[in-house]
Amino acid sequence: MQLEYLEEVKKLLLGKSYSIVGKDVRRLDAIEKVTGLAKYTADQMVEGALIVRAVRCPYPHAVVKRIDKRKALKVPGVEGVITAEDIPGRNQIGYLAEDQPLLTTKARYVGDIVALVAARSDEAAFQGSEELKIEYERLPALFDPKESISSEIKLHEHGNIAGDVKVRKGDVEQAFKGCDLIVERTYRSGSQDHAYLEPEAALAIPQGYKGVTVIGTIQTPHRIRRILARVLGWQEADITVITPYVGGAFGGKASYGPVICGIVGLAAVVLGKPVMILYSRYESFAYRFKRGSFEIKFKSGVTRDGKLRGIQVNFMIDAGGYAVSALGFMPRAAYHATGVYEADNVKVDGIAVYTNNLPSGAFNGFGDPQMQFAVESQMDLLAEQLNMDPVEFRLRNALVPGARTGTNQLLDHSVGVKDLIEKVAKKADWREKRGQFANHKAKNTRKGIGVGCSWHACGTTGIRQDWAGASLILNSDGSVAYSTGIVELGQGTTTSHAMMVAEVLGIPFDWVRVGANNTDTTPDSGATSAQRGTIFGGTAAVDAALKLRKRIERLAAELLECKDEDISIENGEVYDINNGDQKISFREIAYEMYMRGLSPGEYGFIKARREYPDPETGQGDAYAAYTFACTVAEVEVDLETGHVQVVKLYPGVAAGKIIQPAVVRGQVVGCSLLGLGYALTERVLSCDGQILNRSYSDYLVPTIKDKPEIADLVCVEDEYRYSGFGAKGVGEIALIATPPAIVNAIHNAIGIRFYEIPLNVEKIYFAIKERASNGSRNEAITEV
Amino acid sequence: MRAHKESSKQHSYGGRTMLVRFTLNGESKVEEVIPNETLLDFLRRSEKLTSVKRGCDEGACGVCTVLLNGKPVRSCLLLAVQVNDAVITTVEGLANHGELSEIQEAFIEKYGFQCGFCTPGMILVTKALLDERADPTVEEIKEAFEGNLCRCTGYEQIIESVLRAAELRKR
Amino acid sequence: MEAETRQLPKFDYVVPSSLFEACKLRKVYQERARLLAGGTDLLVKLKKRAALPDVIIDLHRITDLSFIKTVADQLVIGGLTTLSQIQNSSIVEKWALALFQAVKDMACPPIRNRATIAGNLCNSSPGADTAPPLLVLDASVRLLSTDGERTVPLLQFFLGPEQNILRPDEILTEIILPLQQGTSAFIKLGNRNAFTRSVVSVAAFVKTNNGKFEEVKVALGAVAPTPIRSQRVEETLKDAKVSEKSITKAVAAVMEELHPRETSLRVSPAYRREMACVLIKRALSNIAMEGGQC
Repeated sequence: MQLEYLEEVKKLLLGKSYSIVGKDVRRLDAIEKVTGLAKYTADQMVEGALIVRAVRCPYPHAVVKRIDKRKALKVPGVEGVITAEDIPGRNQIGYLAEDQPLLTTKARYVGDIVALVAARSDEAAFQGSEELKIEYERLPALFDPKESISSEIKLHEHGNIAGDVKVRKGDVEQAFKGCDLIVERTYRSGSQDHAYLEPEAALAIPQGYKGVTVIGTIQTPHRIRRILARVLGWQEADITVITPYVGGAFGGKASYGPVICGIVGLAAVVLGKPVMILYSRYESFAYRFKRGSFEIKFKSGVTRDGKLRGIQVNFMIDAGGYAVSALGFMPRAAYHATGVYEADNVKVDGIAVYTNNLPSGAFNGFGDPQMQFAVESQMDLLAEQLNMDPVEFRLRNALVPGARTGTNQLLDHSVGVKDLIEKVAKKADWREKRGQFANHKAKNTRKGIGVGCSWHACGTTGIRQDWAGASLILNSDGSVAYSTGIVELGQGTTTSHAMMVAEVLGIPFDWVRVGANNTDTTPDSGATSAQRGTIFGGTAAVDAALKLRKRIERLAAELLECKDEDISIENGEVYDINNGDQKISFREIAYEMYMRGLSPGEYGFIKARREYPDPETGQGDAYAAYTFACTVAEVEVDLETGHVQVVKLYPGVAAGKIIQPAVVRGQVVGCSLLGLGYALTERVLSCDGQILNRSYSDYLVPTIKDKPEIADLVCVEDEYRYSGFGAKGVGEIALIATPPAIVNAIHNAIGIRFYEIPLNVEKIYFAIKERASNGSRNEAITEV
Repeated sequence: MRAHKESSKQHSYGGRTMLVRFTLNGESKVEEVIPNETLLDFLRRSEKLTSVKRGCDEGACGVCTVLLNGKPVRSCLLLAVQVNDAVITTVEGLANHGELSEIQEAFIEKYGFQCGFCTPGMILVTKALLDERADPTVEEIKEAFEGNLCRCTGYEQIIESVLRAAELRKR
Repeated sequence: MEAETRQLPKFDYVVPSSLFEACKLRKVYQERARLLAGGTDLLVKLKKRAALPDVIIDLHRITDLSFIKTVADQLVIGGLTTLSQIQNSSIVEKWALALFQAVKDMACPPIRNRATIAGNLCNSSPGADTAPPLLVLDASVRLLSTDGERTVPLLQFFLGPEQNILRPDEILTEIILPLQQGTSAFIKLGNRNAFTRSVVSVAAFVKTNNGKFEEVKVALGAVAPTPIRSQRVEETLKDAKVSEKSITKAVAAVMEELHPRETSLRVSPAYRREMACVLIKRALSNIAMEGGQC
């Protein structure tokens, strides 16, 4: 991605303002979704498909001694029982480490899949799994990462540590010596369930002699294809992965895609029949991988002038039975541990530890909601002890162009955070409200206002490189067949791609179609996650469109007898800027290309401008670009019950050029509610490795009545030079800023700080009660 | 007539089917239905109406919402055999000969959807609400939608879509 | 409920067209059958195999059990009246305000459009939200079988979690409330703002005379194996002066009465007890002190 795509696009469009990008268009998926025509995985009904059910180990840690299939196979309707020995290739579906079998012979979490039962009906599959006789040898189990780290009980061959990460910049010890104030606290950020409305589902259909088509609720079609090739012992070319519309994903379907697609792919090939799996909501809650929980020890040092001098962070992640995504979100959290602030001295040590809890997977924010909660709480604590306004303190330390991150990456442009904080604070009437709320004299409630900032880099972390492909074919009538591997999860990215393609080619938006996501025809654009769909997926689209445009201009120049650079294309009409009366239609040009044998197609392929941070120091250009957010939250706390109402949120993002304003607003509002849920109502409860809340009645996601008032979105368009149109990603950032804003607001309201999220209403209530009975209502800081 | 006589037989033993007569999206239907199938499964399987979704199968999420005699209900908590003589509406019944209804136009215009999975339910609740109350307040909208979960939108643009739909319907 | 949902089990299915026919069927099948009213509880149980009846008796054709009316000095609600119908009833709003307030926050509209009041009572969850209001309003239930009819005070109806005195051959046909002077209220505490079960719920009925509590009834949900009345509060407040002080004092007495269990979802008994007190105080204060006409 070495081209300055933003510059290229501007040059091309002769500095005119965009006619499509930046405006609201009718989304490409709109009509299908409002008419009910949109098909999701479970809507692909294949006659005669077998139903497969996962048979799971009920214990957190156990070896499978024996599986007796006989009774199960006798159940009417059961057509097969599949175990690890039936796997033709390698029994390995690990996402970032090879530690995770598809069907295990040693269970490492409650629900680890040991066998598959395929039957002609749900009931038969259910009964078949009940009749499957499995003998386990139970092993002692570990549920606390602190215990696991030094335990004799080995959960994996390579021990109990999934991985670790280090960041070393400057000299923190020295820096702390020179600090006037040091604050050190321990934070806990818990798990969270995606609870997307569409449960996991997948369907596999064997094709011909050696082939299989898999359709699933996934975010990473090409990775799924790679993993299936591994499991089946085939080539990637033997496998087709189709991704229909997905009903919400938030990262969960990235981590879990290999499991459900592996199941059906394997079963279909072994049994030679189409096979389908539809998770019940119970299975989705009980067994699907969730946000990883962190314990973070955070030490920050500042000098009296309010400058952050150093941070020292030690954090531990409960990775669960398998690492899955932990080796991605662990380093991400480490590389983001400074928060949106410049610190010259940084020491971060992070470790992901195996336990027999449910494996931790990807969830919107990917380590940052957990880490930034600690960062932003520290910032408020420091501000308070310095007697500085929290916003003022943040502005004093905020990253600016020319600053360096904790990994010593130079941020030379696209760093809009300081401007963003100022604008959001202004919109929220920050200073006035801080004063007002302090004087709020209702009997049983207190009001508070708090701020939270976040940053979240666009693109994947570390290990693998971050590439994206795009394919563009001009049809003979001038319409365009565009294809990307980026999945439409609801975030509207494929519409953004089409907009950018249309803008670059100079044609109306509705001349562009985005093809179905099918690995036979779509390029590998990498995962649809990590806020990368627009910045990288979209830049690949622009890459392809720019290349194609050059060829079109060449031909047009010849036909119009002028220079290439004098060609302008507007709304499907091609003309010489020096001779505006002579126009050719884009359609004519397209047809002429075919007639002359000039290639009407182009392939875009780019990789992110980033490297691999040094394993010992974490130093390096960890990511291509960073998106920023700032949210101010107003809360009201009921002193008698401990309940917290979030009254209003003021969100803001610095995400480069905004391609679709209304869509981005929707993303930010949606993410803000996810963040609100993470802070207040969404507690994943588990006991001895078993998830206890297994339904929407027991896992409380925000309803429409839980939505606070939301101010108009503040956008700072700090364009990134190396992406098409200067866009960055925005799909996760707002979630991260919301919980700290709320917790900081609660502190402002009642003078009590909480160091663990999700909050627990009882904890709040008893903390208030205890403080009241101690008689000190205006105590500066109480720690809970 | 045989069909009429059959439908007055109000029982099923040993898993036998029963004849159920109902109106579905404006069309009269007479179907043989087993008693132990939910309306949700029946609509998806037999009527191929995939807009009615399974999200939790226990009434806690709202994506299975259909209109029964104009009122929103959870189709996963109804037996198919219970809809005798009823009028059922799903989102497939809203567009008129290819022309989108005002509610659907509003949801497009105001971005009342993202992943789209909860959208059919949201649209049907909108229809029931606006059929009863042409000018709902935001409070009334929230009351009507409190049982329909959405994980993507944060509900804001859904509320705006409902308000816009009310406007469009007044014209 | 903990179990996974599955496809519905097999069952025989009968739809009586009259109450008489329904009672006959009840007599024949007894424990082998379950009554299907709104279905919002039963269908979930069936899918989770928490109920496995041989027969389901669907009552939806018995339209004459769906009514709300005043008869002489009573408010009578038919057992198959849906929660939505109750929510929209001006009669209920006038004579049974606590019930009116309770119903509008139960579950959500699509569920209320089907769920019936008899179903909610017969399901007998310790947190059933219709129960505390009916208890403070001195409700009775009419239970009908082929052997005859009996009217039982709701206070005697509940026996334990999901247990009540309904015989396997009976149908709950009516809920009867005496028309009383005084006013009532209902408050629930949940873990989010809508569509959630009660952590604690409280209903109160108050009649005042010359600044004194002439009659006080308080009922609680979700803090005991069944919905309960709080005798301590009621006794302490009878004839007491209407004041925040007297309310606070009476409410403190409740703490000793309550022994909620720890649920698997970790709502602590201590919190429930304290919230019960907060809600009782709020309910009584709202009605008695701030403009409630008693």
